[in-house]
Amino acid sequence: MTEHMASFPVLSCMLLAPVAGILILLFLKEEQGFLVRMVALVSAGISFALAIYTFVGYDKTLGGLQFVEKYPWVKAFGITYFVGVEGMNAPLLLLTGIVIFTGVLTMWELKERVREYFIFQLALVTGVFGVFMSYDMFFFFLFYEIAVVPMYILILIWGSTRKIYAAMKLTLYLMAGSGLIIPGILMLYSSSGLFTFNMLQLHGVAFAPWIQKIAFVFLFLGFGVLAAVWPFHTWSPVGHVAAPTAVSMLHAGVLMKLGSFAILRVAMYLCPAGFQYWAQFMGLLAAVGIVYGVFVGLAQTDLKYVIGYSSVSHMGIVGLGLATGTIDGLNGAVFQMFAHGVMTALFFSAVGYIYDRTHTRDILQLGGMSKIMPVASAFFITAALCGAGVPGMASFWAELLVLVSAVKVFPIRGLLAIASLVIGALFALRVVQNSFFNDPNPKFAHFEDVTPFLALPRMILIGFMIFFGLFPQVMLALIKSSIVPFIQGM
Amino acid sequence: MLMFNQLETYLYLALVLFAIGLYGVLSRRNLIAVLISVELMLNAASINFMAFNRFLAPHPAVGQVITLFIMAVAAAEAAIALSIIMAVYRKLKSINAEQATELRG
Amino acid sequence: MGSVDCLFSICTAIVTLPLLAFALIMIFTWRQAKISLAISLTCSTISLILAWYLFITVRDVSLAHPIIRQVEWLVSSEGFKIPFGFLLDPVSLLMLVIVATISWLIQVYSIGYMEGDPGFARFYADLSLFGMAMLSLVSANALLQLFISWELVGLASYLLIGFWYEKFSASEAGKKAFVVTRFGDIGFFMGLAFLTIYFGTLDITAVNLAGLKNTMPQWLLTTSSLLIFCGVAGKSAQFPIHVWLPDAMEGPTPVSALLHSATMVAAGVYLITRLFPFFAASPTTCSVILAIATITLLLSSTIGMVARDIKQVWAYSTISQLGFMAMGLAAAGLIGGNFFPGYYHLTTHAAFKALLFLCAGVFIHHFGTNDFFVMSKLGGRTLKIPMITVTIGALALAGIYPFSGFFSKEAIMGVLWSLPSKLWVGFGIFGAFLTAYYTFRVIFVLLFPRPDHHKAWGEYYEVPASAHGHGAAHSHGHGPHGDFSHDDAHAHKDTPPGHQHDEALDPHGHGGEGGHGVPWVMSLPLIVLAGFTLVLGFLQGRLQGYLLGDHHPHELNTTLMVLAVGAALTGIGMAWRDWGAKGATWQGFIRNFPALENFFIKKWYMDDFWRWFLDTVIYGFFSKWFTYNDRRVVDGGVDAVAFSCSGGGRILSFLQTAFLQYNLLFMVLVLAGLGIYLLMGL
Repeated sequence: MTEHMASFPVLSCMLLAPVAGILILLFLKEEQGFLVRMVALVSAGISFALAIYTFVGYDKTLGGLQFVEKYPWVKAFGITYFVGVEGMNAPLLLLTGIVIFTGVLTMWELKERVREYFIFQLALVTGVFGVFMSYDMFFFFLFYEIAVVPMYILILIWGSTRKIYAAMKLTLYLMAGSGLIIPGILMLYSSSGLFTFNMLQLHGVAFAPWIQKIAFVFLFLGFGVLAAVWPFHTWSPVGHVAAPTAVSMLHAGVLMKLGSFAILRVAMYLCPAGFQYWAQFMGLLAAVGIVYGVFVGLAQTDLKYVIGYSSVSHMGIVGLGLATGTIDGLNGAVFQMFAHGVMTALFFSAVGYIYDRTHTRDILQLGGMSKIMPVASAFFITAALCGAGVPGMASFWAELLVLVSAVKVFPIRGLLAIASLVIGALFALRVVQNSFFNDPNPKFAHFEDVTPFLALPRMILIGFMIFFGLFPQVMLALIKSSIVPFIQGM
Repeated sequence: MLMFNQLETYLYLALVLFAIGLYGVLSRRNLIAVLISVELMLNAASINFMAFNRFLAPHPAVGQVITLFIMAVAAAEAAIALSIIMAVYRKLKSINAEQATELRG
Repeated sequence: MGSVDCLFSICTAIVTLPLLAFALIMIFTWRQAKISLAISLTCSTISLILAWYLFITVRDVSLAHPIIRQVEWLVSSEGFKIPFGFLLDPVSLLMLVIVATISWLIQVYSIGYMEGDPGFARFYADLSLFGMAMLSLVSANALLQLFISWELVGLASYLLIGFWYEKFSASEAGKKAFVVTRFGDIGFFMGLAFLTIYFGTLDITAVNLAGLKNTMPQWLLTTSSLLIFCGVAGKSAQFPIHVWLPDAMEGPTPVSALLHSATMVAAGVYLITRLFPFFAASPTTCSVILAIATITLLLSSTIGMVARDIKQVWAYSTISQLGFMAMGLAAAGLIGGNFFPGYYHLTTHAAFKALLFLCAGVFIHHFGTNDFFVMSKLGGRTLKIPMITVTIGALALAGIYPFSGFFSKEAIMGVLWSLPSKLWVGFGIFGAFLTAYYTFRVIFVLLFPRPDHHKAWGEYYEVPASAHGHGAAHSHGHGPHGDFSHDDAHAHKDTPPGHQHDEALDPHGHGGEGGHGVPWVMSLPLIVLAGFTLVLGFLQGRLQGYLLGDHHPHELNTTLMVLAVGAALTGIGMAWRDWGAKGATWQGFIRNFPALENFFIKKWYMDDFWRWFLDTVIYGFFSKWFTYNDRRVVDGGVDAVAFSCSGGGRILSFLQTAFLQYNLLFMVLVLAGLGIYLLMGL
């Protein structure tokens, strides 16, 4: 892959803007509430703007890696600071920018320990940005860990239902996943004979088939834990329920995509023979996850649990797309990563507004919210319709691509996945009906609807969802430009 | 037969003393008795050193020098051990090894 | 070509203007009724004018030479390209005109019907969304664009059925409609997937060509056409997934008129027409469609005979007429005919069914009840224009000369007659009899109410609950699942909760302008549609020529005509005897078979079946066991790992005895072992 060096270190700025935000926040005091929030918003905003810049500024005709920055870090071990943008990660960088920006806006009303909250939040997002842009396995893993560790504190202090159990479970489970990743990475590192962590160079090495098969399993299962691959998904609903709103937005919206993206970027890229060997199994797990997630979601009564299981199901669609190994499938999988990320962020953001006021997420208690706060309800209903696969929203195109290519490669699994669309619609609409329609619960009748300022993050998310729903080619052309060489290189 | 001119005699002697000392360390309940047994083991080691020195490598008289070392070290160690036993006694009011089990997990 | 590009712009305008209206209203003006109305009506009018313009000016098209214009909307790889564009040929042009006209008429009608409703702006936004989706559906060139529009039409239907969302029955009905049609749509999706993978393209003209020339492998043809028919069955309410349509009457009557009689439910039949060569190439599929359509025709007619809610009667009538259309198309496919009979009936049905619904709407709006027996008591026959037009519509539905229904029904009967087995045409004639019966039951009840002291009023006249100022009959759901089955014996009210107060003040309907008669915005569409009903019959030859490109001389099958008209007249006669005559008892002849009557009232237990399926199979089995598995097995496994770690640690801690001598002993043993090992090794 050709590398085009960046004239201006855009990606490093994107990565370091949150770090700068953290440094400034360390010197502020808790009482300066407005300033704290503004600093967080500005640093998130800078990253967001730069992410839009890389998304728009990527030259598809030129191809290859662009905005590349490469500095040797530890020569003895072959570690370089190597970041770049291509069609595969540009949408995900954009997604991260969107979610962190809207996330900061969503948490505007947080009251306790705001400064520390934003410090940890920005630390988390630094890790996320880093993972998406790294092409050196060491830094990839380093940022991966940075993205996981602050979760513990964020959930523990600012979380809700069963936060102690959830924080511990989530963090230890993800650490266990990391424990599976390290052997995989080191296996590839030591058997390559090149003593480098640079992914592009490692790609050129033809590893022995047995190494590829074993390394692939380690990497797939390890990253799969973060991607909520069935059956390693149970941390996800519990964790999302317990986490504060913007953390859920980031986590379900972006972090779970880290796992799938890593499967694509590391496991499938470096171990193609291993992927071919395990593809059927991957497809099976993904199909099970899709069907499973919708059925279990049907029985839930807590809004966030419903969204959590919906995420498991949609991530199954990503996994299914990856498992097909075709151009359409991979295109659909990456598109779904973006589309689902925006949709889930919108879901959690909408729920957050309601929860902040009513302090309940029980769908049997919340009735008729549409009457009380029509605009806030409209946000959730829009997200629910997107989840049900209504055209005009971005995830429709993604699901279309994945499901059609799945039917081609795994007929039975693909048809099962299509059949689950019905149950998906049922559980989305059931939740909407119980929480937002019917008679309003008199306890909540006095709450006000969302103000324009608080509506802003949700409108941004809806805007992106509908924009890419109406003009999917904008996103797809970009994704395609890197997937096609990727498949050819496999 | 007990030949005082042979190496084996003194090795047997050291072995017997060491075994008695080891047995004492492992089975006595009184901490001071344990200390005495440790001294016994140290002396057995000294005999061993001197025996080898005398029969196998007489010049220089390293074994005897080492024995002096051992005595000095033993003295220092006895001092420390006794102060520890004093501290334990102050805490537990007894010097029974079976009662000093605070680190039990 | 310059003119083609101009056509493309016009088509794009027709489709996107309503979308623009939807977006503008939902984002900006959803609190202002008048401005929203203006936006929506303007866009609808422009679409209407452009559609008629296209219909009139685009003359040099035919089925064999359509005008196609499209752009690549989504390009994923060489094998997967999704275009967005238009296919203009006589079939789609005619349907464009039908949809645009009826949409416009409904929007005008709703000015009067929905006046004062707090969700007025949202209603027009949803109507515009529907308009856009339906127009895109009928003019689509690629099956995928059609599918997308199909789904969007379903979305609009969901929003409109559940329009009065505070009412449990309404939100429940909306959800039911969406989920049941989605159930059919997954079959549609699977069929499309197969076509994409094994045939390579979803282009409508290519698929039809393959059907005509038989270039597609038979298994692919049959499988994909059967799967696509699943979608048709969902959208056009064929057995067994017809159960959503009667419940959809929870929506406001304009919605029922537009979506659930004339246009949206016709989309399924339109799809069969659109893909007629494709469907016709597979005799298996045609036979299946014929069988299912016949069951639908008869099943819903029997239920219509015992319903008391006027909208329910028209709903079941719609279901059965859709079955009749499908019968016509399937039979034509089997004998090598053409789609004209089925499509012609679609056209005439759109006009008279919308007319029937709008008339019903006038009555409902005026009297505040859906039960036509109550309307009769309250003086339904006094509203002149609606009464005349509803009779015209009923005569057309029953198939009486000179109304349009006569011609289109006769066309379909002709095709059925040509089938090898006369069984089908027999069913068709029986269906005609039932249709005439239940239609004129309504008309005669309305026209000839019994005298006040007649004992029939004991059964049929219940004071509507709203007249006492109570709220509408809510059936509150039990738990999160709710109750799908409604008892048809009692009238539904589809008036919104907000209107309850009016009834408390004036039990004879709305005061003010309602008391003077029907507002002109509501009677204008009635008159226009009645006009269409009168005229369309005589345009049969011209339409056939336009659509098919040749003028088949119309052979007159006298036997068939006599049988069909005879059946219709018999039905009317029996209805007269039971409901209209001086000494009529107001007991349907079906009362003589109480078991049957109960079976029909229970809607052939279909609702109960699906309710059972949902509760026991989906919720009770799959959902429950998957959740149990998740919580106990999978999650339990993870928790077990965690607990075993801490448990194992607790066990291992027993090694920490803290006995001095045990530690020393252990040390000695290890040293001894090491010593022996080294000595042995050395």
